[in-house]
Amino acid sequence: MSSIGTLWTLMRRELWESPGAFKWAPVILIGLTLFFTIFGLILGSRFDNEMAFTLDAIRQFAASPADQRRMFMTGALFASSALFFQILILVIIFYLSSCLYDERKDRSILFWKSLPVSDRMTVASKLLTACLLAPAVYLAAVIVTQLALLLIATGYGLLAGVNPLTTFWLPASLPRLWSVMAIGIVIQAMWLLPIYAWLVFCSSWAPRVPILVAIAIPAGAALLQHTWSLLSSFSLPEFNIGMIILKRLGSGILPTNVNFNINSSGGNTDFTDIRFGDELFMSFSNSFDYLTRPEMWIGVAIALALLAAAVWFRRRATDS
Amino acid sequence: MSLTIHARNLKRYYGNNRAVDGIDLEVPSGRIVGLIGPNGAGKTTALKAILGLTGFDGELEVLGQRPDKERDRLMQDVCFIADVAVLPRWARVWQVIELTERLHPRFSRERCMHYLKNTKVKQNSKVKALSKGMVVQLHLALVMAIDAKLLVLDEPTLGLDILFRKRFYSNLLNEYFDEERTILITTHQVEEVEHILTDLLFIKDGKLVLNATMDAVHERYCEVMVKPERVEEARAMKPIHERVLFGRHIFLFDGGDPALMKDIGELHRPSVADLFVALMGDEYDNHQQEEAA
Repeated sequence: MSSIGTLWTLMRRELWESPGAFKWAPVILIGLTLFFTIFGLILGSRFDNEMAFTLDAIRQFAASPADQRRMFMTGALFASSALFFQILILVIIFYLSSCLYDERKDRSILFWKSLPVSDRMTVASKLLTACLLAPAVYLAAVIVTQLALLLIATGYGLLAGVNPLTTFWLPASLPRLWSVMAIGIVIQAMWLLPIYAWLVFCSSWAPRVPILVAIAIPAGAALLQHTWSLLSSFSLPEFNIGMIILKRLGSGILPTNVNFNINSSGGNTDFTDIRFGDELFMSFSNSFDYLTRPEMWIGVAIALALLAAAVWFRRRATDS
Repeated sequence: MSLTIHARNLKRYYGNNRAVDGIDLEVPSGRIVGLIGPNGAGKTTALKAILGLTGFDGELEVLGQRPDKERDRLMQDVCFIADVAVLPRWARVWQVIELTERLHPRFSRERCMHYLKNTKVKQNSKVKALSKGMVVQLHLALVMAIDAKLLVLDEPTLGLDILFRKRFYSNLLNEYFDEERTILITTHQVEEVEHILTDLLFIKDGKLVLNATMDAVHERYCEVMVKPERVEEARAMKPIHERVLFGRHIFLFDGGDPALMKDIGELHRPSVADLFVALMGDEYDNHQQEEAA
């Protein structure tokens, strides 16, 4: 029980230490999204005399079939979250690559190590901040944004004389939308865990600029591998480190969550079977499918090894 | 009496550099120990080993635990201020206090506030906005509010003005120290701590050259200001150090007959600083001359 309390305190410390990444960035994203929405609406109303077109379109939308309304609402709301989750990944990458480096650089490690907190607990708090707390903060920002967008839509709906509840709020299927996103970001964190752990590992020992070290090592290895493979057999390597890493980054679950590689085999993606509907992104099974892939668990195993190494380095680290 | 620190043949080598080279040490509780040595003598390395911040060879137990293996558990009973200004610079004062309160089971917020009451440290200031002296005041308040058995201070007053240094040590002695606690201090400002020390350790090239209680030091060493006509006689008595002050010769003797010394001059208690110079200074000078040559 007390170790959970310790962990929570350490994770709050991370939020205090990086307010830019975990507080102001989501607030700015909310502001930007709403600003451009309202800006667009105002701009639109200049060309739309007495908003006749807009109100007409809303009335038409209210009369459209239920599954179309559902797909449009959930799709639009899902799209509004994309920017948040893309920025989140960037924030996490920078946060993790400096998480065990900054305390060595500014020597505050000597203060943290004077507290009865184990190195394992410290590393765990950094990783959990990246995997759970930061996504939770960004998800909260997404929820705030979506509620604000729905309120704006409600205003327009009332102007158009349609029932905003049945036109916008119910088709938005908010509980389901938010739980799909919540589960998605947790599973995405597991999927990206080897990359996260690699960043933590690099920041635990890199003498300076850990993010460059973290990028240069796999990039250099991939380059060497390519060079060697081209020189020795005039072909690209089959087992390709660089491609494996890039593919993993690119095939995350969020932000778009649209599972186009569902029918892909042998490099050919078959789009013909995809039925465009809200099931494409509103399904839990998209996320849970990842749990059945062997790559997921290989990645988790690699991550655990890297994290153990990071703890080893943290135990030996002092200010010099 | 239980031992706070027990070390036998403690070693720490960095490649060929023997930072700590076989130290034997027993520190019981209720002592204030000064660890004094020139730069690069191994003070900080020895402290780091004691605090579990570095690995070591040989035997070392602090409060019955291996510091390198069980640092987190040890830190419940050990506090340290390693050099100045290691508090996280991004944090606000109230955040540092709250983190310490939540992470340290023996921390008392009331006592911390009591120590901070008479300072200019504001709760909402950022650590990086505080002056060097205020950061030390804050850190000391944090550490003194922890009910610990061993307090380690590594150059705690470096770069602070003399008023603050005086108050620092008087606080430490009057408000913090008691029979149950042990304080281990390293500093260059020997003259400021010598009145509060109970034990003295001199370290040079990773080895202890002196390990004694202050009482024993005062019994063993004596300083004689010799009358000019008896200088040769004093030299014949094999002093360990000789210096000249305002034309008068001052000799430092290791042991010897007090009656005889009284006869040749005025007897004094040597200061720790003079003892330090006598025991290591000359060689240090020689070394510097060699380097200059």
